Amino acid sequence: MRPSTFELEVDGLVRKVQVAHERGRFEIVLDGVAHSVDAVAIEPGRWSLLFADGRSHEVVIVTNGHEGAATVLVDGSTVPIDVRDPRRRRDAAGGHTGDGPVPILAPMPGKVVRVLVAAGDAVSARQSVIVVEAMKMENELRAPRAGIVGEVLVREGALVDAGTLLLTIG
Amino acid sequence: MPAIRKVLIANRGEIAVRIVRACRERGLASVAVYSDCDRTSTHVRMADEAWRLGGNTPGESYLRIDAVVEIARRCGADAVHPGYGFLAENAAFAEACGAAGLTFIGPAPAAIRAMGNKTAARAVATAAGVAVVPGTGAPLSAACADADVVRTARELGYPLMLKAVAGGGGKGMRLVVDESELPDALRGARSEAQSSFGDASVYLERRLERPRHIEVQLLGDAHGTVVPFVERECSIQRRHQKVVEESPSVAVTPAQRRALADAAARVARRVGYTNAGTIEFLLDADGQFYFLEMNTRLQVEHPVTEMVTGIDLVEWQLRIAQGEPLTLDPEALITPRGHAIEARIYAEDPDHRFMPSPGRITHLRAASGPGVRDDGGLTAPGEVPIYYDPLVAKLIAWGGDRPQSIARLARALREYEIEGIKTTIPFFRWLLTNEDYVAARVDTTWLDRVLATRAGEPFWASDEPVADLASIAAAIQACTARGTASGSQAAVPAPTGGWVAAARREALR
Repeated sequence: MRPSTFELEVDGLVRKVQVAHERGRFEIVLDGVAHSVDAVAIEPGRWSLLFADGRSHEVVIVTNGHEGAATVLVDGSTVPIDVRDPRRRRDAAGGHTGDGPVPILAPMPGKVVRVLVAAGDAVSARQSVIVVEAMKMENELRAPRAGIVGEVLVREGALVDAGTLLLTIG
Repeated sequence: MPAIRKVLIANRGEIAVRIVRACRERGLASVAVYSDCDRTSTHVRMADEAWRLGGNTPGESYLRIDAVVEIARRCGADAVHPGYGFLAENAAFAEACGAAGLTFIGPAPAAIRAMGNKTAARAVATAAGVAVVPGTGAPLSAACADADVVRTARELGYPLMLKAVAGGGGKGMRLVVDESELPDALRGARSEAQSSFGDASVYLERRLERPRHIEVQLLGDAHGTVVPFVERECSIQRRHQKVVEESPSVAVTPAQRRALADAAARVARRVGYTNAGTIEFLLDADGQFYFLEMNTRLQVEHPVTEMVTGIDLVEWQLRIAQGEPLTLDPEALITPRGHAIEARIYAEDPDHRFMPSPGRITHLRAASGPGVRDDGGLTAPGEVPIYYDPLVAKLIAWGGDRPQSIARLARALREYEIEGIKTTIPFFRWLLTNEDYVAARVDTTWLDRVLATRAGEPFWASDEPVADLASIAAAIQACTARGTASGSQAAVPAPTGGWVAAARREALR
């Protein structure tokens, strides 16, 4: 995937971050310094970050009322952050209209219990495409926008890690 | 003594939750009452039954004696637990419960009345042979001329404390350094006492030099047994309000411990005290202790005593109310096992002069782990209403000794996740690293003195690595959300149930 660039307002300071994502591993350049991070969403907003040197951090992102604004909890400290995403701002009114295939990632470690679509199927926005079971809960993942299902990379019964690419929608 | 099967809890928040838990453990049904803004509160959801009081302010809800007694009668409760605050030290409420055939889980109305009047309580202590802080014997009623108060003050000597006779909890209390301050302090204290307690009477006490606040928990049964516990120290106070409590006190020797326990028990026996209560003392720099007042109820800080003695005080409140005799070993109760510290986590912004910060809790995960106890009454999403005491939770840490309990409390505060409102957690994290606190070189005025020297710097600032981590995580989440949708498909699975999946299978067939 090509890198995304964000501007963050962190505790009043503006910082530039570039993120590239490859199978659960994130290559980050923060104000010119590179970090390689294994990031897994434990639950919505709760991230386990493992750095290349072995450091482990749990970070919780609590989103506030308005777009992009969040409070981030790190090791008992809170940091207010405002994410500025030029692309998102442009798209905000009309939902996702981005070009290029959209990846559907496993939100948590679990088992694929049902694949509801096959390559070449037309799907509508919000249509359920795959069901992943984790902690005895079935989680239906939905298409973020209408499109044609590209590759389906997993089969029913497959065990997947958080962040595993399951299928793409073109 | 009538059997108890169903207990109405005339309170809210963490203490109502604490009492529901004790009832459930004893196999007793629990009944919650609630104001309109508390409809979705934890105590309502946890109790076996919940009945609406209506209103929001304490006056239109939890302080309505008639409404509470009527609900108790209607739901078939046979006992009432008042918790702390609200009606807990209201003799008229205890009487109304008795008149309705309900067992009041607390002392007899006469004992509440005797100790609720602070000058009368001082007389009880004196009669029991316990030293009181030197001060006025009789109350200075509203009719008492200012000139008479000035004369009495001169006899006692400055500095002195001006206190409400009907008071408690630091309300209607003023420090008077010299005679020029007396008229204003008197006016302020009287008006606060009148509005808080409906009685403008005040009394004067000599101000002790940097005293420590030491208090003795006790239990009394219906058969005349009174047992005192190892002391608690509550010297960490902000504007006369306790913020941190611990047990035992490092300032109390084993011999003093025994003397304090004996003194407390003598005072309690003098008024035929039953159920849970606490006698508060001031300990001066010379190791002399003086009776301050008695709280005729369960205290906020009761968990630290539970942690160092292994006794469940609320369970014993219920057992005593059921007529059981106290079978506790008195020696064991004044022999602490390890050390416990409680931090009162309030919805206040410590970095803005502890301004109240009520509102919606968007995220909450309490701390746990070895030696840690979280007495809370909130979940996320949830509200801290503007109408009541902004206590969010009491975080208690037990350790084999004081350093270990400090280390565990610090560790638990770091683990505590709460968002949406500001809390005093950053203040506690700062406090636990303060060398005077760690060395226990404190007294009841220490915290206010230290806070006055601070220039407004944050209590707990995030350093650079923390900001880096937050930035990295925020960028990762933004990237994931962008990659999947305007929402965040990768992170937020759509809700589903088994029947949805079943319907889907049918549709696919």
